[in-house]
Amino acid sequence: MHIVVAIKHIPSIADELPVRHNNIDFDSVDFVLNEWDEHSIEQAVLIKEAVGGTVTVIGVDVIGELDNALHLALAKGADRAVKIAAEEPGADSHQQAKWLAEAIQNMSPDLILSGVQASNDLDGQLGPLIAAYLDLPYIGGTSAIEVTNGKAMVLKEFPGGIGMRYEIALPFVAGVQAAPKPPRYAPVSKVRQIAQTAKVETIEPGEGESGGLRFLKMAPPVVTGHAEMIQGTAKEIAARIVELLKSRGLL
Amino acid sequence: MLTPFEKFVFFILALISAGFTLHGFVTIIRTIRLGRPAPPLKNLPQAFWKAAVTVLLQRTILRTRKLLSVIHMALFFGLITYAFVNLMDVLEGIVPGFDLVYSGKHVPGAPLALVRAYNLISDVMSGFLLFAITVFLVRRFILKDKALTYRENVLLYPKVKAGGPHKDSLIVGVFVIMHVSAHLMSQAFRLAEGPDPWMPLASFLNSISGASQIGVHIAWWVSIGWVMFIIPYLTRSKHSHFFMAPVNLALAKQNPRGQLDPAIPLKVIDGKTFEPGARVITDLAWKRILDAYACVQCNRCQDVCPANFYGRPLSPSAYEVNKRYLLKEATFGGHPELLQAPLVEKVISPEAVWSCTTCYACVRICPVGNEPMADIVDIRRRLILEGFELDSGVQSALQSLATNGNWMGKGRRLRGRWAKELEFPIKNAAEEAVEYLWFVGDTASFDERVLPNTRMVARIFHQAGLDFGILYQQESNAGNDVRRVGEEGLFEQLVEQNLAAFGRAQFQRIVTTDPHSFNTLRNEYPQYGGKLEVEHYTMVLLRLLEEGRLTVKQRLSHYLVTYHDPCYLGRYNGVFAAPRKLLERIGVEFHEMPRNCENSFCCGAGGGQIWMGKVPPGERPAENRIREALATLQSYAGNGKKQLFIVACPKDMIMYSDAVKTTGSEGKIEVRDIIQLVAEAVGVVEPVSEAGA
Amino acid sequence: MSGDVMVITEHMEGKFSDVSFELVGKARELAEAFGGESIALVLGEGVDASVFASHATLHMADAALNHFNPEAYARVIEALVKERSPRLVMFGWTVIGMDLAAWLSGRMGVPCVAYAKDVRVENGALVVSSQAYGGKLIAEVSPEGEMAIVACLAGSFPAEAGHGSTQATVIPSPVDLGGLKMKFLEVIKPEAGDVDITTQTRLVAVGRGIGGKENIELAEELAEKLGAVVCASRPVVDAGWLPRTRQVGKSGLKVKPKLYFMLGISGAPEHLEGMKDAELIIAINTDKKAPIFNVAHYGAVADLFEVTEAMLELL
Repeated sequence: MHIVVAIKHIPSIADELPVRHNNIDFDSVDFVLNEWDEHSIEQAVLIKEAVGGTVTVIGVDVIGELDNALHLALAKGADRAVKIAAEEPGADSHQQAKWLAEAIQNMSPDLILSGVQASNDLDGQLGPLIAAYLDLPYIGGTSAIEVTNGKAMVLKEFPGGIGMRYEIALPFVAGVQAAPKPPRYAPVSKVRQIAQTAKVETIEPGEGESGGLRFLKMAPPVVTGHAEMIQGTAKEIAARIVELLKSRGLL
Repeated sequence: MLTPFEKFVFFILALISAGFTLHGFVTIIRTIRLGRPAPPLKNLPQAFWKAAVTVLLQRTILRTRKLLSVIHMALFFGLITYAFVNLMDVLEGIVPGFDLVYSGKHVPGAPLALVRAYNLISDVMSGFLLFAITVFLVRRFILKDKALTYRENVLLYPKVKAGGPHKDSLIVGVFVIMHVSAHLMSQAFRLAEGPDPWMPLASFLNSISGASQIGVHIAWWVSIGWVMFIIPYLTRSKHSHFFMAPVNLALAKQNPRGQLDPAIPLKVIDGKTFEPGARVITDLAWKRILDAYACVQCNRCQDVCPANFYGRPLSPSAYEVNKRYLLKEATFGGHPELLQAPLVEKVISPEAVWSCTTCYACVRICPVGNEPMADIVDIRRRLILEGFELDSGVQSALQSLATNGNWMGKGRRLRGRWAKELEFPIKNAAEEAVEYLWFVGDTASFDERVLPNTRMVARIFHQAGLDFGILYQQESNAGNDVRRVGEEGLFEQLVEQNLAAFGRAQFQRIVTTDPHSFNTLRNEYPQYGGKLEVEHYTMVLLRLLEEGRLTVKQRLSHYLVTYHDPCYLGRYNGVFAAPRKLLERIGVEFHEMPRNCENSFCCGAGGGQIWMGKVPPGERPAENRIREALATLQSYAGNGKKQLFIVACPKDMIMYSDAVKTTGSEGKIEVRDIIQLVAEAVGVVEPVSEAGA
Repeated sequence: MSGDVMVITEHMEGKFSDVSFELVGKARELAEAFGGESIALVLGEGVDASVFASHATLHMADAALNHFNPEAYARVIEALVKERSPRLVMFGWTVIGMDLAAWLSGRMGVPCVAYAKDVRVENGALVVSSQAYGGKLIAEVSPEGEMAIVACLAGSFPAEAGHGSTQATVIPSPVDLGGLKMKFLEVIKPEAGDVDITTQTRLVAVGRGIGGKENIELAEELAEKLGAVVCASRPVVDAGWLPRTRQVGKSGLKVKPKLYFMLGISGAPEHLEGMKDAELIIAINTDKKAPIFNVAHYGAVADLFEVTEAMLELL
């Protein structure tokens, strides 16, 4: 059972995002591992622990700092780490997915996992694009994937606590919303140990193909309104709110 | 005095007793040696001498439970006397003609004064012993003192749960009563010529029983027989502390309190490799195994544990007692496989392990020098390494620390943002040389509730003309709590990051507002190559006042205050005087809480607790502390002074401000950082624009 | 290449989602600008497909499409789009659309824009405004080429414009739906017995600031006094403090109550998507910079526990 997990190194949205030339100023932002990728890595390792096999983690190294995320994945139980050395911080999902699909094709995976979404998925997510380029079906929003005898049982999450279960023949691509268990913690000492001993394979990118979007403008949202703020102590605020509710006929 | 046959029997029994005793000690020592290497100890003869004096003066016991401690002194000196008494009795038994003076009968060659003194002391001590042991037995079995029990939710080793400690105490209690009574009777039976003023108790008994040679023999056998039984038994009982406690105190930790032992022993013997932390009992350092043999099972550590107070399933004493009983069953009980049983299954529950706030109160109070907290940190280290499921709050805190250098999920670049919003610039120590590097810490840099205090510190430093700077975004969390949560790898990463930043900066000494950072920078960073002079800001502020760089313009005698010693400043590093002198200079009316200085009661935020996602129900330690403060100040209130709870730690600021609200004490007492008092006293104010924000 | 705009509608249990109507309404406008027709595509049986205000409605009434099957839908849509070559294909950026839009883009080799809030035609070119980077920025992009795929956030356009009565034309599936890898098995419903928050007129919403399961009780007391029900943002449900049936937001439920009283919710776009149309939104949060204050009608920077307790005393 060979599972491939495609990860994405994305600009961190923890800080402010500086803009330059109608797009993000990629030189001034920190890049972090997409948080949903932690779930897809966890899901892959859980499947491996249940039925055996190997887990390969692969990502596009957009700013040359992907190693840390790859070492983290190895510390969590992945077996192989591959990076596509295409230092292009502005590479969109289409471009990355094309490079990844080419590399993944040679790996003969039984299952391909990715995070269901990422905050820079303006032109779509990696998962469905990789599936499209490899002519494989895609299912997103999974909260549980189990594999038995070459088939997978997948639970897809819908709003309001509803779920739909599918039986899917391998291989296919899944966008993981959540693993059945929260992502395990990888102790820093383990990650550092791996950083010293493990080998990360590097692949040269093939033909890229951007998503075909021309950026006209990128700016913070215009704040059109603001709440009327109630001042005072908690008691005063509470009194004002009760008064408000009464005046609206809600009390 | 004994017949030849009796002597023969005595020698046989003595040999058997000695044999079992030797076996007992050999077993204990062998078991202790199964543990890992511990940090090396120096000056052992001096250490042993100091321990002997401490034990003789009963210093460590008198720290708390004063009445019981005094009664214990009776027991202690009584039993020491009885060691000599037993020797005398044995000599009287086996050496022909060796008789001490009774009823005025004089044995030629025996110095009368000494013998009389001996008789008096041993007689009176017998009384003290009987009194003391009766008190203790009554306390345990009739009064059923709660302090000797454990809460329902604390994991207990099966034999402990079945009442092992009670049985143990009963056996030794009965021994003391029977042995001492028998000895007294034996003395009573000797008084063939009526009462001896140098033996009051024995004389009293003699008036009832009369003299009897047969009685002397019987009483002797009962008395010495019990001794021959009890001495080997001691090695299998908590009363091994007679021998193990002084040894444990002598071999106590010599490195600073605030310096944890390494996760992997630095001294490797026979090329053995070690995994960090402890999974089974033999993964603990040998000193930790010795702790179990020294433990008196008195539960004083449980009394002072804030987690235990809070109703968590943690009891440091239950942990040590469980360890002891596991060792007993593994060695004397013939189940060596128990030495490979996971600690978190047998002796302490995982929830208990994660409840510890690492306040050091248990270590500080222990009369025999045990360190339950050290075990807990070691267990945590291994749990983290082996992928034990962590509390989600702790996990996100650790992940944020690894990525951003702070536990709050804030971007690294935002760290010095607060400084840029001040009305004067603060130097960047990485760009300009400064005298003082101010290590601000996460909470003081980011938490909205604490930022006003941080800004105030800056203003005061500025007013005093202190040459200081901060590292802005190059500062990372110092790592104190990371290490105590058990993430050694992350701790090392943070140390490396900070030391690299220090290397790029130019400064002469470090000042910090955070006691946790203070502790690790001062005590642990040197082990990684940092040669740092580190001070807490109270020390610097005091110096500034003493040097006249700051002057008190207004003495704040209209405040009625008490001060809370932060664990990592006070108990760990002995900094009690500076904040108090500061308060004195400021002129507030100050009163100590009952639990002050080394005995301070932890706010409950340390050891990763402040990161935890779940908040258990029940009275929190911080709430209890606020109540203590209110009770302390109440007797002095009524003169219209405003009551203040003074802290010198950002986490204390948060925990206690919260506790004031949740105890409904708003309006009665206000929590303030000491800097706010300093500011008011020296006349530094916040700019108006900030006051309303 | 036609000037048609094709809308992929979604339905569950006989009802179309609001976003389907929103898209159809917008599609009509865009189709007119392109000089083509708006086409609503309905997949599966069990629903009345003649409810849209589209120029045309195609209904693929194949039983294999009754429940959402990502592979079946994707293949069918791909084939149909290849056949008809519309100028624009519109999806809702929903649990369903997120499985289909980008896949179609990769197969067809045409651009895709997600998180769209506005779509317009300027000088013959398509311009899309999208929420980018978790809503921190708004990106305006123009997809190059002669076909584009746009996936819009629910609540971006008025739904009324999409209601109509265009008669649906039943068409067969262009793809053999047997022999697919994905097989739908069953729907898993949450435990019965819990309230339906979408029908409530008043809701008290709690966020991470509530701190823990044991504090939910306080919110429930307040809700009771207000004749309301407690609901929550995603982190609260993920932590297990409330069941998923109480989750409001993009991957939760959409609500439109008369009163939405928010305690300790910061106002991330995912949550806003679920409640921004509430009639009266009052927010309590300790962070004066919380984005919710840009959306709420009334707000207060205060401790939610203090305010809640004060309100309980008054009520």
